[in-house]
Amino acid sequence: MKVLVPIKRVVDYNVKVRVKADNSGVDLANVKMAMNPFCEIAVEEAVRLKEKGVVTEIIAVTVGSKAAQEQLRTAMALGADRSILVETDQEDVQPLAVAKVLKALVEKESPDLVILGKQAIDGDNSQTGQMLAALTGMPQGTFASEVVVADGKVNVTREVDGGLQTVALDLPAVVTTDLRLNEPRYASLPNIMKAKKKPLETVAPGDLGVDLASSTKTLKVEPPAERQAGIKVASVEELVDKLKNEAKVI
Amino acid sequence: MARDAVGYALGALNRLASSDFLDRVGIRKFIERLAYTLTKTGFRLITTTARTFKATQKLDKPARLTAPGQTTGLFDLNVTEEQQMIRDSVKSFATEVLRERAEAADAAHKTDDEVIDQALELGLNFFAVPESLGGAASERSAVTNLLIAEDLAYGDMGQAVAILAPMGVANALTSWGTAEQQSKYLPAFADEKPPRATIAITEPHPLFDPCQLKTTARKDGNEYVLNGTKALVPLAAEAELFLVAAATDDGPAVFIIEGGTDGLSCGEDNGMGIRASGQRPLLLEDVRVPAANRLGNSDFDYHQFVDLGTLAWCGMAIGACQGVLDYVIPYCNERKAFGEPISHRQAVAFIIADMAIELDGMRMLVYRAASRAEQGKSFQREAHLARTFVKDKAMQIGTDGVQLLGGHGFTHEYPVERWYRDLRAIGVVFGGLHI
Repeated sequence: MKVLVPIKRVVDYNVKVRVKADNSGVDLANVKMAMNPFCEIAVEEAVRLKEKGVVTEIIAVTVGSKAAQEQLRTAMALGADRSILVETDQEDVQPLAVAKVLKALVEKESPDLVILGKQAIDGDNSQTGQMLAALTGMPQGTFASEVVVADGKVNVTREVDGGLQTVALDLPAVVTTDLRLNEPRYASLPNIMKAKKKPLETVAPGDLGVDLASSTKTLKVEPPAERQAGIKVASVEELVDKLKNEAKVI
Repeated sequence: MARDAVGYALGALNRLASSDFLDRVGIRKFIERLAYTLTKTGFRLITTTARTFKATQKLDKPARLTAPGQTTGLFDLNVTEEQQMIRDSVKSFATEVLRERAEAADAAHKTDDEVIDQALELGLNFFAVPESLGGAASERSAVTNLLIAEDLAYGDMGQAVAILAPMGVANALTSWGTAEQQSKYLPAFADEKPPRATIAITEPHPLFDPCQLKTTARKDGNEYVLNGTKALVPLAAEAELFLVAAATDDGPAVFIIEGGTDGLSCGEDNGMGIRASGQRPLLLEDVRVPAANRLGNSDFDYHQFVDLGTLAWCGMAIGACQGVLDYVIPYCNERKAFGEPISHRQAVAFIIADMAIELDGMRMLVYRAASRAEQGKSFQREAHLARTFVKDKAMQIGTDGVQLLGGHGFTHEYPVERWYRDLRAIGVVFGGLHI
C-alpha cells in the first residue's frame, strides 16, 4: 500500500513571528523554518503504518521553494521512502492551488491513502485536505485521533466538538491529522544520514498542468493588538461589579 | 607647475612661521595669515586644474564583490545540511526530554533508564561505529560529535555526560582499537541494547596532569595488573565496559576493562555538579587484564585520546553556557527594579554582552580544534588553547548566571544554580585550570 504525505515548510513553532514594517506579511528573513507540526504527525502516522506492515511505500511531497527540500529531507529522515518537490518561487500558494497539485500527483502516483496535517500553523487555513478530497472524489476523515487500516477500509476516529466520531472510509481516502494522533519521533542519526541517499524528485507545477495563480490578494497583515496590563481590585464587590458592568460576563 | 610653485612658497612660509624671528620683529600674525590664505587659494587651483574624470565604461548596475567560490574552511562556521538536521533532532530531544527531567536526574544522581533508551533511539552510538561493524559511520566526524555534545548539554549537562560516555568509548575503539578489540567490543555498541561504557582518566591528586598518571599498569606475563584510584568517572556504578588510563613502563596507556572484573570497585562521592552522570570514584586493586586489552597498537596516540575527550567536555560546556545565556536574557528583560527592566542597567547589560562574546569566542576556538582533528591535522595546540579559554569563561558564565538572577539565582527554584554547579566540572575534569 502506498501513502502520499503532503507536508509544508513553515516558521518554526518556537519562533515569535514579527510583521514586516510595510504590513505586507510576516518577516521571514533569518527566521528558523521547520516542518509544520501537524505534518510531522502525518509523517509519523505513515511511518507507524509502515512499521506495522500495512504500508509499503511513503512518498513525501511539498509545494514550495528550493529551500523546502530541507523539510522533505527531514520527512525522509523520519521514514519516508522518497519525495517530490513541486518547485515554485511564488510565496503565498493558496490551499486550492495546493489541492490541485496534490490531485495531479494522486493521479500520477495513485496512492491508497493520503495523510496530511489538519492545518498549517502559518496560514491556519485547514482547507487543503478537504479540498483534495472534493477534487478527487475520495472519502475524507479529518481531525483524526486514531487511524486503523483493515480489510480495504480505513477507520478514522475524529475529534469533534461533542466527543469522538469514528468513520469507516473506502480506500483510497484522505485523512487529516489532529494533535493527539501520535507523538512524532526524533529523527535518528543513521536515518538522517540515509535520507541523503533517498530520491528527491523536483517537478514544476506546469509539468503537472496546474496553475498556482492565486485568486485572493493579501491587503494587509497586522500583529494582534497588545494585551493591556491587568489591574488590582480592592474588594470582591468591586470585582463583581466590574465583571457585571464592564466585562459583562456575569 | 601650480603645485610646485605653491609648494615651494608654502614651504618657505612655514619655515618662516616656525622661527623665532617673527616674534622678535612682531609680524607673526601677518605671516600666519598669509600662509593660511595662500594654502586656501592654492588648493583651489590644484583641484580645478588636476585630472578630469570620465566614464570609460557603462555599468548597468553597481559592481559589488561576491563571496569567494571556495572557502578555506578556516572561518566558515556553517554546518552541512546533514549536520543541521542532526542538530535539530538532538536539540529538540535535549530541550523536550533532558531539560524537563534535569532537576529530577540531578536529585536522583542518576540518568533515568527511560531517557537513556530514548537517547539510544537517536542512534548516537551508530554514529561512532563503522559501517562494517554494524554502525552507520563512514568517515571521521569530530565536528559533528562536538555539535551533538553541545546540543545535548544545552538540555542538561549531567544527563548529556551519561549519554555521551558510551559514545566516547565507541569512538576511541573506532579510532585506535586493534582488529581483535574492535570485533570483540564494537558490534555491541550497534546493538539494540548497547553496553553502558565510560572513560576513566582523572585522578584525585593535587595538580593532576593526565600525562603524569599515578594509576599504574604493571606487565605480568601475558597480563597487566592495574592499581590506583580514578575520580569523576561517569556511570561508574553501572558501566559494563571501562577505558582506564594508566601509566606503564613505556608511557601512559589505556586499558579496556570489562565491568565485574575482580578488584574493580566504585566509591560513593557524587561531586557537586553533573550529578545525573552518576560519576563516582573508581578503585582499581590488582585488576588483571589480558595484554591484548591495551588499547591500540603502536599507532595509539594518548595525547590525541585526551585532547578529543577535552574537546567533548568543551562542547558540553558551550551547550550549557548557551542554556544560561538563553535563560538570563528573557529574565533580565522581564525582571523589574526601580520601575524598569534590570537589563536597562548597564552593569547587567554588559555582563550579558560579555557572555555572548565569550560564548562565540569559545565556539571558534573549540570548533577550529575539532575541525583540524577531523581533517587529521595536528590539533594539540588548538585543543589546549580552547580548553584553557573554556575552563575560564564557562565557569565565569555559570557564576554570572547565578548573579544575574540575584537572590533567585541562589535558590533551587531556578535552574541557574544547577548550571553553575555543572559548569564548575569543566574546571576539574582532565586536570585543573592551572595545568
